Amino acid sequence: MSPGFSQRLGRVELAASVRMTIKARELKAAGKSVVTLTTGEPNFDSPLHAIEAAHQAALRGDTKYPPQDGTKALKEAIRRKFKRDSGLVYALDEIAVSNGGKQCLFNAIMATVDDGDEVVIPVPSWIAYAQMTQLCGGTPVLVNCPQNNGFKPRAEDIDAAITPKTKWLVLNNPNNPTGACCSAEEIAAIAAVMRKHPHVWILSDDMYEHLVFDGFQHATLAAVAPDLKDRTLTVSGVSKTYAMTGWRVGFAGGPKPLIKAMTVMQGQATAGISTVGQAAAAAALDGPQDGVQVQIEAYQRRRDLAVKMLNEAKGISCHKPEGAFYVFPNVAGCLGKTTTGGRLLRNDEDVCLALLEEHYVATVHGAAYHMSPYLRISTATADDELLDGLKRIQVFCEGLH
Amino acid sequence: MSLTSERLDRIQPSLTIAISTVARKMIADGKNVISLSQGEPDFDTPRNVKDAAIAAMERGETKYTDVAGTQALRKAVTVKFARDEGIDYKPEEIIISTGAKQVLFNAMVATLNAGDEVVIPSPCWVSYPDIVTLADGKPVLVPCGQNNGFKLRPEDLEAAITPKTRWFMLNNPCNPTGAAYSKEEMKALTDVLMRHPHVWVLTDDIYDSLVYGGFKPATVLSVEPKLKDRTLTVHGVSKAYAMTGWRIGFAGGPVALIKAMDKLQSQSTSNPNSIAQAAAVEALTGQQETVESMRKVFEERRDLVVDALNSCPGIHCSRPDGAFYVYPSIQGCIGKTTKAGTPIKDDEAFALALLAEEGVATVHGAAFCYPGYIRISYANATEELREAMTRIQRFCQGLH
Repeated sequence: MSPGFSQRLGRVELAASVRMTIKARELKAAGKSVVTLTTGEPNFDSPLHAIEAAHQAALRGDTKYPPQDGTKALKEAIRRKFKRDSGLVYALDEIAVSNGGKQCLFNAIMATVDDGDEVVIPVPSWIAYAQMTQLCGGTPVLVNCPQNNGFKPRAEDIDAAITPKTKWLVLNNPNNPTGACCSAEEIAAIAAVMRKHPHVWILSDDMYEHLVFDGFQHATLAAVAPDLKDRTLTVSGVSKTYAMTGWRVGFAGGPKPLIKAMTVMQGQATAGISTVGQAAAAAALDGPQDGVQVQIEAYQRRRDLAVKMLNEAKGISCHKPEGAFYVFPNVAGCLGKTTTGGRLLRNDEDVCLALLEEHYVATVHGAAYHMSPYLRISTATADDELLDGLKRIQVFCEGLH
Repeated sequence: MSLTSERLDRIQPSLTIAISTVARKMIADGKNVISLSQGEPDFDTPRNVKDAAIAAMERGETKYTDVAGTQALRKAVTVKFARDEGIDYKPEEIIISTGAKQVLFNAMVATLNAGDEVVIPSPCWVSYPDIVTLADGKPVLVPCGQNNGFKLRPEDLEAAITPKTRWFMLNNPCNPTGAAYSKEEMKALTDVLMRHPHVWVLTDDIYDSLVYGGFKPATVLSVEPKLKDRTLTVHGVSKAYAMTGWRIGFAGGPVALIKAMDKLQSQSTSNPNSIAQAAAVEALTGQQETVESMRKVFEERRDLVVDALNSCPGIHCSRPDGAFYVYPSIQGCIGKTTKAGTPIKDDEAFALALLAEEGVATVHGAAFCYPGYIRISYANATEELREAMTRIQRFCQGLH
């Protein structure tokens, strides 16, 4: 017999993207030719100068316990980054470093959310926001952001969702899973609403901030509305911009009391961040940025390819997003139909599973991001593999009857 | 509306802040401070481990790994547990985390409900009760006196367990006392645990390669394999391989518990640093001579420190079997006054005065839930230790 588990754990589940990635891996191991369009990580290598910096850090013996809130060298690099990229000025004690952007969010929510507190989350969204909220006994309040508004949150819908119990509003620009990105004007409209609700913290998750296309200008709330900076947490990291997912370094800028509370939380959960990872992150932030441009061009090219080919597929309609490395096609036109393998497609999960099991293309269904019937397709995939996957999706749709 | 959540408010502010603030200021002012307060080896990470990390980054192992760690590292951990502890785990019974601390955090958050009790022998690492409290649990501290070598007695364990007990947490060898359990002592504890099947057992064995004088450390499962389906064996590379900054800890346990911890980790941090995981594979499976050479140095230092402390008036120091700490009683100094005229009213006053007057930083016992003592880490260069001992002797001789 097992002594048992906590109730809070029962409120959490394994992310659908992880479940689909595991299924894809199992099919691959069974010898199938699988195209994996589920991953949320760049297919590029980490920058050489970041690797070199980690290498040097290890050799010079930078292998001891780091400060819990990050090394001074990395925090200084982050301060320069916020200033350079967003015009945001943070003091060193207004910056925290964590094991990935995910831990910044986890720290912030664990440090502030009590039973019954509400967290307003525009959806579709990355599942982690709602999951972390539930883990803390909080209630996620989901605000629908339909395709007809480009999957972007409208200020009036956010306003309507806020109650006296609201603790946080979460913004994710560009958005995982849709790639949608609010303009400075759209953010200003949200900021205007937030001025009416001084009891609410604002979390701006800008993890994909550099991955925007067609000359789009990324904007972040603390810069658009400096008067709200003292209750805004701006989160970013090196994972997506510099292809450094495995290094696990994310960071946040925010008001000192919040950063301090997050550091206390982190001190209990993991303590500091791997020293070689921090050295690599500092080098990535301060080093040459031309590698980023090459990646942005690749993601834009792949987005264009994916949107075009998905819109050619029967029963699929795909919105063209401003950024990130995802597209979020609508598969309503496929529902109610039957695949060549004889499966009836009742919802997006059926579509997702049939695609994987009949055509070996792994995607994630929209329900996993709180909006159906959609699929999330990652373009962080080599061009020829992406092309192969998109062709298979076209063949799949062609065969529906 | 309060900024912080109730769970965060339950965490006591660090008791060592006063001391570390003074130490930092003294160092900034150019004073010579010898720090005996750190919980990490003074040695550098072995070269073969660094080379493995460098090779991994150059190979492009810079992507997400499985949340619970790479297959290579989980396999290496099974090899380590079989070789060093005589415990057979399968890779799916292993989780890799960002330091052993995250293993403890995952385990507590994944299992504790409000009001659940966790039995913790004290003196203890303060993170044990803090993490339990953060996870809505109630730490039940069981004092383990110096007269029993700071070890838990089976009758005290028996008396502490109630129907609400969810975990028993043991640190063997122990931070801060260095106490380690022999086979017989451990058997007496596991006999008690066998009678209480509703209790999970966490054994934090992170210091178990650092034992001295031919002492054979006994782990929970080597003594009582029947506890395997409710025991979490916690370990890491930080202490044995001088890898604190890499942040890799791990645990072996029943699949259901490991899965629960994996799920939690997937929502808090995901996988530990991929490069550090590659480094840990080499640490666990590569040459092990460095572990032995560090151990030998630690043993010499332990003896140096214990002998020197026992020659100080007012100090009584046990000679522990493991870790790199000693935990001397300073109760004979309480009530006295230093040369500079500072009254020593408790262990914190002792540690602060020792720092201010002699430039030696230690941690006072209250920070380990057991006042009247100080913790001295001998993970410091031998010459520095000698100098520090001279200063402590002078300090104690000056008390009146």
